[in-house]
Amino acid sequence: MKKGVLKYRTSDKTVNAVCACIAIGLFLILWYWGTAATKLGMMIPGPIEVLQAIGRGLFGKVGRHSIIAHVGYSMMRVMVGFAIGSLVGVALGLLMGWYGIAEAIFNPLFRIIRPIPPIAWIPISIIWFGLGEDAKIFLIFLAAFSNTTLNSMAGAKSVDPEVINAAKMLGASERQIFTTIVLPASVPSIFAGLQVAISSSWATVLAAEMVRSSEGLGWMIVAGMNNNDMIQILSGIVMIGIVGFILAIIMRKAEEVLCRWNKSGE
Amino acid sequence: MSMEQERGIESSIIECAGVCKSFKTPEGEHQVIKDFNLQAKENEFLVLFGPGQCGKTTMINLIAGFEKVSGGSLKFMGKEITKPDPSRGVVFQSTALFPWMTTMGNVEYGLKMAGVKKEERQKRAQNYIDLVGLQGFEKSYPVQLSGGMRQRVGIARAYCNEPKVMLMDEPFGALDAQTRYLMQEELQRIWEAEKRTVIFVTNNIEEALYLADRILVLTNCPATVKKEYIIDLPRPRNLVSPEFLALRKEITGIMDSTL
Repeated sequence: MKKGVLKYRTSDKTVNAVCACIAIGLFLILWYWGTAATKLGMMIPGPIEVLQAIGRGLFGKVGRHSIIAHVGYSMMRVMVGFAIGSLVGVALGLLMGWYGIAEAIFNPLFRIIRPIPPIAWIPISIIWFGLGEDAKIFLIFLAAFSNTTLNSMAGAKSVDPEVINAAKMLGASERQIFTTIVLPASVPSIFAGLQVAISSSWATVLAAEMVRSSEGLGWMIVAGMNNNDMIQILSGIVMIGIVGFILAIIMRKAEEVLCRWNKSGE
Repeated sequence: MSMEQERGIESSIIECAGVCKSFKTPEGEHQVIKDFNLQAKENEFLVLFGPGQCGKTTMINLIAGFEKVSGGSLKFMGKEITKPDPSRGVVFQSTALFPWMTTMGNVEYGLKMAGVKKEERQKRAQNYIDLVGLQGFEKSYPVQLSGGMRQRVGIARAYCNEPKVMLMDEPFGALDAQTRYLMQEELQRIWEAEKRTVIFVTNNIEEALYLADRILVLTNCPATVKKEYIIDLPRPRNLVSPEFLALRKEITGIMDSTL
């Protein structure tokens, strides 16, 4: 289906893995050389120092908690907000895509709210929910919600009308068509939305933690800045990248399992 | 119309009298079907044969209940058709299978919607999967099947609801010639094993002659019945017998003058 879109496309996993290792290795070498041999070394620490700091802090202490615990705090917030936000987003999106009246009511409102980035809600969330967990979860909810709704709506709208006719012909009721046809047919689109939603949620939790919190990866880099501890900032940033990368992989694997039917067997 | 009405109304399952269908387009009303009459009798294999875009699919959509007539009367077992119903199974050219369901999932779908218990419905679905020759592919998804196999799933799915009428809209139109011949033979075998009233749409004269008890030759848009042929050649038919070729020549001749 996608043939011809990309000029070079390899399905060979080992080739891809080797390329990835070479690229990361080259980047680390460049970083090392830059910090060791140029004046860049005065501004940022080298990769070895950062990796050592991560190794020490992983189960040791950065502030009051280990890095693993900081990751845990951030993940907890993301998971709760993401779960609620994507559930509401998917439900609303599918309803908007399937029932014209729901789209007519909610879509204009939604189009205005959607371009507002979640971090713009930080002041309101603090006024409404205080400085605790609720405010952060609310922000992540917004991030997940706004990214899943439109994709789910597009999914519900793009269901092949002939497939709907087939279900009608086989005796499915309106409700059965929604649950057994529209919902599963939209799963690939829903996942496209969830992918964006999880990265957006991850970005949002860090922003929220940087504003006000006493733990989490966001706190770690802000605390590093306050203490002028460049190594702590960079270890936080590296951890943010790694966790974000893992989250994206988990989402892709989940999609592969749930959308097996969408890929050809060859 | 009167002539067709006189001929055994009791035995006809689908009764179509003076049916018209037009669509609104930016250029105005576009008439696709005009004064269409047909009667399909029980267990008859009726072929609607006509040129490319002549409104055959629209006729199937009307009988299926996907669309409403603009004029005239269209009855199924004496009742006006208003919406789709499991008693009128449809086999689509595009197959319209549920891609996220396996062969079994597709075939048992109708029974599932009707609330038939899992064990019972899988037994009945298996019966039709076997009938269309797909045993061993129960757990395959449509993407993993070839075009011909997908259409077998489509046929089994429609059959599994035990409909009175099977509506087939160029079901083999998207297949390559070789598979198409094979599927025609298969359909004939399936139909002999499980007799149903079939209304089959095609623009392929060989296919029409191979399968039909009766052929209605349609005019080009707007579609209406131009001529009727009763085909009583013995089955399975020999595609190169003199009778077959004579009919083929005659009907092709009619078509040419239609275009």
